[in-house]
Amino acid sequence: MNNNYDVIIVGCGVIGSSIAYHLSERQKHRVLVIDKGFPLSGTSGATQAWVWVHSKTPSWYGELSMYSAELYPFLERKIGDVEYKRTGGIAPFFHEEDRKNAEQLAESQAEVGIDIDVLSREAALKKEPALSPEIVGATFSSIDGNVNPFRLVELYIKAAKKLGVDFSFYNPVVNMKKQTDQYIIETKKGEFRAHKVIIAAGPWSKELGDMLDIQVPIKQVRGQILVTEPLAPFLKHTIGGLRQADNGEVLIGYSKEEVGYDKRSTVDVLQETANMAIHMVPSLANVNVVRCFAGIRVMPLDEYPIIGEIPQLDNAYIAVMHSGITLSPLVGTLMTELIVDGETSIDLNRYHMGRFSHLLRNKML
Amino acid sequence: MDNSTIVCRCEEINKDEIITAIQLGAETFDDVKRLTRCGMGPCQSKICSNLVREIIHEQTGISLCQLKPSRMRAPLRLIRMKTLADHRTANKVASVLQDSEEGGV
Repeated sequence: MNNNYDVIIVGCGVIGSSIAYHLSERQKHRVLVIDKGFPLSGTSGATQAWVWVHSKTPSWYGELSMYSAELYPFLERKIGDVEYKRTGGIAPFFHEEDRKNAEQLAESQAEVGIDIDVLSREAALKKEPALSPEIVGATFSSIDGNVNPFRLVELYIKAAKKLGVDFSFYNPVVNMKKQTDQYIIETKKGEFRAHKVIIAAGPWSKELGDMLDIQVPIKQVRGQILVTEPLAPFLKHTIGGLRQADNGEVLIGYSKEEVGYDKRSTVDVLQETANMAIHMVPSLANVNVVRCFAGIRVMPLDEYPIIGEIPQLDNAYIAVMHSGITLSPLVGTLMTELIVDGETSIDLNRYHMGRFSHLLRNKML
Repeated sequence: MDNSTIVCRCEEINKDEIITAIQLGAETFDDVKRLTRCGMGPCQSKICSNLVREIIHEQTGISLCQLKPSRMRAPLRLIRMKTLADHRTANKVASVLQDSEEGGV
């Protein structure tokens, strides 16, 4: 087996597999994707998978999310049905004083072309009758939606495979070394070499960075989700906190806990999540909960995506972010531009890892 | 079992679909589950767990004692949302709009 590649991507979640697929479209490079487990066993398989734009701030970050959401229909035509639905997104609020903030949000997002309506209580309830009558209003944008994360990652991988990308699963990377003009990736299943390496391992990127003496400025955040029994379609929109899937299940949750890599479910958060569900959609009180799940998500220290070259290390790249589902079509596209063309159609300066250099210098990581 | 045999009754997943997932590289029950929805229904894999492990064993040669059962999560059986809720106010569960005021995410 020839173990030499042009590009090796470490991590086969939604970001790694999207980069692999978009690179494979260009047919310029021999690409290998390595994952320590099986796709969807980490972050990308433990998500509600909103494609969420409208409340992402500041507006330059909302703009990036919007461009990615806009790519989904085209992506679906290329890789197949990922159950992408642009449902529109509703974020309800329960206090009159939040209306001012909602209006400010609408104003600042309008500058980059994200249309947000600040709805009155009546208008919100008309749009989404299942919402609690206790809301006082909501923000709404037609750009938000959701996708089936299992289909998405599976189809990225299948499309990339068809275009010649190699995949190696259940294969943890043990060490990475730079040797003159190539990287040597030592794995459980042998040694691989590549001219370029991309770290796209989500919360596990930290350990990979350590192998290259690079401090990856991220932390781990646990999210817990409740799943209901399948219900007749009654939620039309993706709602800030919950959404109804194609098969009728409602997925609920918006928790964030810093507990390292601990993936357990905890009763306190499940109870709070049930409280939130009933608070937002009272009719959920009488439905059955079938399961809960928890996933570890990556959170860059300033909460914004880290995309681009790794500073001070030639031909090494990183793509880690909290909202990988929303951003995967765009990040795959931009990373491909960066690697194949050497420049990107959207300026990634703000997302460059170099912005953390003052933290690194002061050893605050 | 022939390939059309339903292995997961809740989600109506047959043996053929499970074999397809294994051919894609799935090596555990949970790998198969995420690709096919096998075991994601109301019984939460109580019925199909061992059947799927047997199929994985048969297809890959991985010994049965190395094949973990599915990852069990609460609730062990269906529970009403209002029974689970404790009606305190949330503090670990954040709100989307609140996040947008703080920036990021």
